[in-house]
Amino acid sequence: MSLVLDGLHKRFASVTALDGLSFEVSGGQVFGFLGANGAGKTTTMRILLGVLRADRGRVSLDGRDHAGLPRRTWGYLPEERGLYPRMTVMDQLVFFAGLYGVPRDEARRSAADWLSRFRVPEYADRQADTLSKGNQQKVQFLAAILHDPQVLLLDEPFTGLDPVNVALLREVFLELRSQGKTIIFSTHQMETVETLCESVAIVDRGRVVVGGNLRDVKRSLGRQVVKLSLNGDHRLAWLDGVAGTRVIRRGVEQSEIELDTGVEPGVVLRAAVAAGADVRHFEIADPSLEQIFIDHVGRPIDPPLQGPAAADRAAAGIVA
Amino acid sequence: MSERIADRRHDPLLPNAWIVARREYVERVRSRLFVVSTLVLVVLAVLVAFAPIFVKAIDSGTTTRVAVAASDEKLAERAIAIMEGVLNAQAGGRGSDAAKPYAFVPSPSRAHAIDDVSAARVDAALVAQRTASGAIDFTFYTGEGIGPDRAQLVGVGTLAVAILDWTSSNTVVGREFTLPTLDVIAAGGPTAGGAPITNAEFTGRRVVGIVFVVLIFLLLVVYGMWVAAGVVAEKTSRVMELIVAAGSARQLLVGKVVGIGLAGFTQYACVLAPALLALVLQDQIATVIFGQADASISLSLAALTPGLLGAYALYVVLGFVLYGCIYAAAGSLVSRPEDLQTISLPLSLIAVAGYMVALLSLSGGLPSVTRFASFVPFWSPFVMTTRLSVSRVEPRELLVSFGLLVATIGLAIALATRAYAAGVLLYGQRPGLRAVLHTIR
Repeated sequence: MSLVLDGLHKRFASVTALDGLSFEVSGGQVFGFLGANGAGKTTTMRILLGVLRADRGRVSLDGRDHAGLPRRTWGYLPEERGLYPRMTVMDQLVFFAGLYGVPRDEARRSAADWLSRFRVPEYADRQADTLSKGNQQKVQFLAAILHDPQVLLLDEPFTGLDPVNVALLREVFLELRSQGKTIIFSTHQMETVETLCESVAIVDRGRVVVGGNLRDVKRSLGRQVVKLSLNGDHRLAWLDGVAGTRVIRRGVEQSEIELDTGVEPGVVLRAAVAAGADVRHFEIADPSLEQIFIDHVGRPIDPPLQGPAAADRAAAGIVA
Repeated sequence: MSERIADRRHDPLLPNAWIVARREYVERVRSRLFVVSTLVLVVLAVLVAFAPIFVKAIDSGTTTRVAVAASDEKLAERAIAIMEGVLNAQAGGRGSDAAKPYAFVPSPSRAHAIDDVSAARVDAALVAQRTASGAIDFTFYTGEGIGPDRAQLVGVGTLAVAILDWTSSNTVVGREFTLPTLDVIAAGGPTAGGAPITNAEFTGRRVVGIVFVVLIFLLLVVYGMWVAAGVVAEKTSRVMELIVAAGSARQLLVGKVVGIGLAGFTQYACVLAPALLALVLQDQIATVIFGQADASISLSLAALTPGLLGAYALYVVLGFVLYGCIYAAAGSLVSRPEDLQTISLPLSLIAVAGYMVALLSLSGGLPSVTRFASFVPFWSPFVMTTRLSVSRVEPRELLVSFGLLVATIGLAIALATRAYAAGVLLYGQRPGLRAVLHTIR
């Protein structure tokens, strides 16, 4: 299975939301879709779902135009969280699954299984407005997957979850991936992307600025990073004498030093030893995804918008 | 800055529209607000249904003045004496202070008596005409103030007059007793389709017309606003984002209108059933309260013909589909409940205009205006049902009215779906007229 987005253009009045956006996702992959607020991520997801129509460009799944695909092909977790407040969790899950063609009994069984899997079986008969935001988010996630979609589109799925539930959701991602599902998700949590994704696309102003296999993307920068831990020295003053290096993250326990192309990592270690530093840890690594993002977009990724602000941007088609 | 949902899949209406409708219906009728409002409406409807009994209770202390004219003076005197004795007997028994329900005054001629009724100098006129066979024909001319129950009691009185007249004259003439005839005619009066009808029937028709127009107004505007509020609630709770991915705009719009419409009809049925039962039983209830002799309420429900009820049901359903779709589209264009009143005001005003014209039609005013309004699709559910209640409507007029309404519904569904598709993704801004037109285009 292969999902191909080819040259998508989308304008909302004077705002260009997508400007020739293209990328490809292989089947059974977890794909990280990264971009600042307003980069065009939500617009892209809405076009994939068929909720919006692209002005130009094509989307295909296994060579078939996506407009001809049934709705149940897709599972969608929107950035804007929402459920029917007075409806029980079970009734909502059965309702949404029903819209995707799942019979009521089957939906009920499946919902009960998933609620147990998410360690909240007792929530089945509770109204949504009695749940915490994190638990409402889990219910929404279940609404997105209960009909067993081929492709999952998840907009900021980890935002608002506590660490336990983040870990739980990561497990589910990997389980779904092992079942052959394709998962495309946007997030501002770069370490989550680095943990889960085989491929990524970083989008800025409606176009992909870098994308592909995660390792290739990291190496495309042509620079390396040294992770260094020293006993009793986090100022790294001796590094001023080493050309082609700069500290990109300074920490008491560990610091990260970026090396210009062509600079040998060993020069850092030698300089540290020469300066009398007590080296506890030395590691040569690829640049972080965050560094790659900054390098291509020119600024760090923003925190996700919440509530009406996000909705207003959605109205203008400029949601990240 | 909005964009319509790209509905290129041509999803079939069913089963998703039905799934949405079922959810709307169940959630609505299960809600505490629905249960409480239904109970309140039931109580109000039963009170309204008992209104004739309350009116009768108030009316029991008033005197009905009846002018009596007869073909001969002796007959007139006898009729007055007998009617006084029969119809005021109960009051007389209660003591001299009790108000007599009837006062009979002689009148020199039929024309004079009718003039007195028309000029409201008396409440009614009773004209006795002896036939060639010696029997008596009575005509009872009723004015504005007289209730149908009193007209019926006058009928009882005329029977007594005929019997006593026969017994007093039978020894001489030797004729057989013949039941007197009694025609009740509204002086100046009420007609249906050009044919004169009794006051009781006319009152019944007007009551039916008023009930129809009030119920239609409630259904179209109140339940229409439920539809709009339901859409806004989905936007406010952000669940709309999930729904638009799962169903097409047409499925969601139709499902919502049908589901909330069915909830409205359920409330309707819950309110109407006890009210109708109260109407049917009110004679028996009146007997308990007022006693056998003075019990009849006689609110004529003859106007509730199957044809009228069928036409009414059809107008209710079609009218709700028309208004419900537009209310849904209006709801989709705002994202805050406080903006809902503003955006739905024009539609509510159109409904109020139809309601006013319908009331005008009940009073017989401006017939050309009411006739025209009964063809205007946004008004025909109000105006045509009242026209059907109180006047003559040609079958072809009814067909044209239905045809225009159905055609407008088709157009409204198409436009409302487009507006809904764009509107549900529109957050944070109250759209102006230009934006609304843009979304529909």
